[in-house]
Amino acid sequence: MSVGERDSHSTVQGESSADTIVLSARNVEKSYGGVQALKGVGFDLRAGEVHGLCGENGSGKSTLLKIISGQITSDAGRVELYGEEVSFKSPVESLAFGIKAVTQERTLVPSLSVAENVFLGHQKSRKWYGVDWKVTKARAKEVLDRLGCDVDVEAIVSDLAPGDAQMVEIARAICTETKVLILDEPTSSLTAHEVSILFKSIRNLSAQGVATVFISHRMEEIFEICDRLTVLRDGGGVSADVISNYTEEKLISDMTGKAFSLSDHESVQAESREVALRVEALSLPFRFQDVNLNLQAGEILGIIGLVGAGHSELLESIFGLHAEVSGEVLIHGRKHRISSPRLAMKAGLAFVPADRKRHGLVLDMSVFENAIMASTAKFFRLITPKPAKEARFVDECVADFGITMASVDANVSSLSGGNQQKVLLTKWLGTKPKVLLLDEPTRGVDVGAKAEIYRILQEQRAKGLSILVSSSEVPELLILCDRILVMHRGRIVADLKSEHANETNLVAFAMGQGMSGKVQE
Amino acid sequence: MIAVFAITQERFFTIDNLSALLNSSSILWVTSMGLTFVMLAGGFDLSVGSTLALTSIAMGWFMNDAGMSVGLAIPLTVLLGTVLGAVVNGIPIGKFQLSFLVVTLGSLTLFKGITLGWSQSKTTQINSKFLDDLAYGKQWVIPNQVIVMILVYLMMLYVQKFTFFGRDIYAIGGNADAARLSGIRTSATLITVYAICAGLAGLAGVIQDARIGAASPQVGENLVFQATAAVLLGGTSFSGGIGGVSGTVVGVLFLATLQNGLSVAGFPNFWQQIITGGILIGAIALDYVQRKRNTQSRRKKN
Repeated sequence: MSVGERDSHSTVQGESSADTIVLSARNVEKSYGGVQALKGVGFDLRAGEVHGLCGENGSGKSTLLKIISGQITSDAGRVELYGEEVSFKSPVESLAFGIKAVTQERTLVPSLSVAENVFLGHQKSRKWYGVDWKVTKARAKEVLDRLGCDVDVEAIVSDLAPGDAQMVEIARAICTETKVLILDEPTSSLTAHEVSILFKSIRNLSAQGVATVFISHRMEEIFEICDRLTVLRDGGGVSADVISNYTEEKLISDMTGKAFSLSDHESVQAESREVALRVEALSLPFRFQDVNLNLQAGEILGIIGLVGAGHSELLESIFGLHAEVSGEVLIHGRKHRISSPRLAMKAGLAFVPADRKRHGLVLDMSVFENAIMASTAKFFRLITPKPAKEARFVDECVADFGITMASVDANVSSLSGGNQQKVLLTKWLGTKPKVLLLDEPTRGVDVGAKAEIYRILQEQRAKGLSILVSSSEVPELLILCDRILVMHRGRIVADLKSEHANETNLVAFAMGQGMSGKVQE
Repeated sequence: MIAVFAITQERFFTIDNLSALLNSSSILWVTSMGLTFVMLAGGFDLSVGSTLALTSIAMGWFMNDAGMSVGLAIPLTVLLGTVLGAVVNGIPIGKFQLSFLVVTLGSLTLFKGITLGWSQSKTTQINSKFLDDLAYGKQWVIPNQVIVMILVYLMMLYVQKFTFFGRDIYAIGGNADAARLSGIRTSATLITVYAICAGLAGLAGVIQDARIGAASPQVGENLVFQATAAVLLGGTSFSGGIGGVSGTVVGVLFLATLQNGLSVAGFPNFWQQIITGGILIGAIALDYVQRKRNTQSRRKKN
């Protein structure tokens, strides 16, 4: 690790700054409606360190970050910058204080050059005739050099590899004075090689005194790059210490609150029953590689993955939504070339997508029309749609599932999230599928409706339907599934029967625990 | 508005005037029906006016140069429109997902050029008793043109309300992704919709020739703007998924009445455009406000 050039932007000294606390939070509280997202959390960030912030979904991680970066205000507590209390009323204020955040969304303009993107929104050097491109490019190059990145400043962003684009995002964040750099899941779409380049850049910045907050759920990365960790759980701080005082097991048990025991690793071979869905060597470039799975008839199989694991894309690919996928898909032993939703439906598949408003429902249409849309898709188009059989099925489902609405002819947008999801289930069950795929089946659904949806799926399983559920909610899969697969970075890393699975080992596998060891099927 | 005109202008509310009013709107009516389907599906067709002109000339050629009978020429003209709509607009937009604005702008220009070339910029007379009858004849009191208009409307209404194809159009216009994911054949439906639109423009071309007794390349210049105004005023949303042909009927009648009323009252032509433009902007603004209120109440519920 070489000490980067000290330029006019960094105001902190070198190695001896290790103990200077740049940012500290004390007893920060925040509630949304009746839910307390943060219950008095503390956080200390020192100059020049890489500080990992760890916690499951719902731990309060993102809320804390939003408070630090000025997007929301806290209800109580103190945030101090160099010992002075600060209170940000908008992101612009925190930016002015030198707190920069790089999120997972790309904020670059694809058609412009790297140099322009680095200075997007900032004063570019001007001469009397307008923008001084020579100086702008030179300054952009300076910033990239601070990162140790050699991307061509004149390159167009849309031509860049994801790793290089990520670098440009960071360059944009640090081009003005940066005291605190927040990186939220920066590695989710990077290759292993790009990650190591990113880490080199982060170390360069540390040497220049920048304090980095690093959020990732990948175990191997956390232990490689972080100097300290703070672990949150359920809105409260659980532990905060130097990395050398953590082991993978301690991190997992701090995050989940449950003791971690090695015997939970077991991968058990499922008994042989008829295989409803079989996937062989399925790969989608940049998303997942070499996935093999067997879904048995009458089984509910879950796939859990965190951001970037590839589980959603896996389901989408099985349903024919990604043209570049390679590998084989077999339904009840028969190979199928599935390249479109229609072909998938013909093969006996049904798919409830994660985003029901964008991909699942036509909001301007009635409940009835949405509910029969898939089952009537194969009918001759010039006949009248008042299909009696389908109508009866819809009525049965409405009664069985408990769909609350004004009437079947009511606009589907007037239903609550849970009821809309039930309409989607009605729609797909109406096609009498052999295999039902569900992606995030209870996202945006209230607790009561969640339980009802689980019940519906279990009833369908009892009737012989084979179900594949993908989710990032661990408790959900524990309730629902007979067997759970875990995906990490595009590969299946664990296959556990439900009686052997628990929150701890699922989270551990999803984070890549034990990756240096065996990669299980 | 009808009331205003009826009261202030004696000559407005006579049978003669009213049938003249309906007759004069036949071309706009037929074309707007086709355009309604395209807009319901979330698209748009800039080329309807040029299609009208092209099919007008084609009709003239079929009758005069190729010596066909009316019975052959009319279906052929409509077929020509349909095929052009399917191939030149439908396939690029429906199958290859190219921008409907760019594609139909291209076909607009393309068809115009072909029209001028084919006709050598000349208007040629067509002599046909059938066509004269079509334009000026009546069945009892109802003009033949109006019969055609009503038939077209009923057919379109039936397809829109009572066939899966019609429901597909609404689904695609409302949420093309969800439609596709439900197994609906979005590209086939879009191609068909553009074909229908151009086919009806072809029918309008036949009516046009009948009205003036000749095939002229100069027709259809303003048609797309009027048709768009009619469809939008009738309540069909530009982004698709909402509206229908019944609304378009209202839109067409409104424009026709406006024009008729203004000219009966002695206003120069440009007033019609000014008023139509103003009402159109007002209607769009109203639509926007309504949509915002709708999404706000949706958000509150979820």
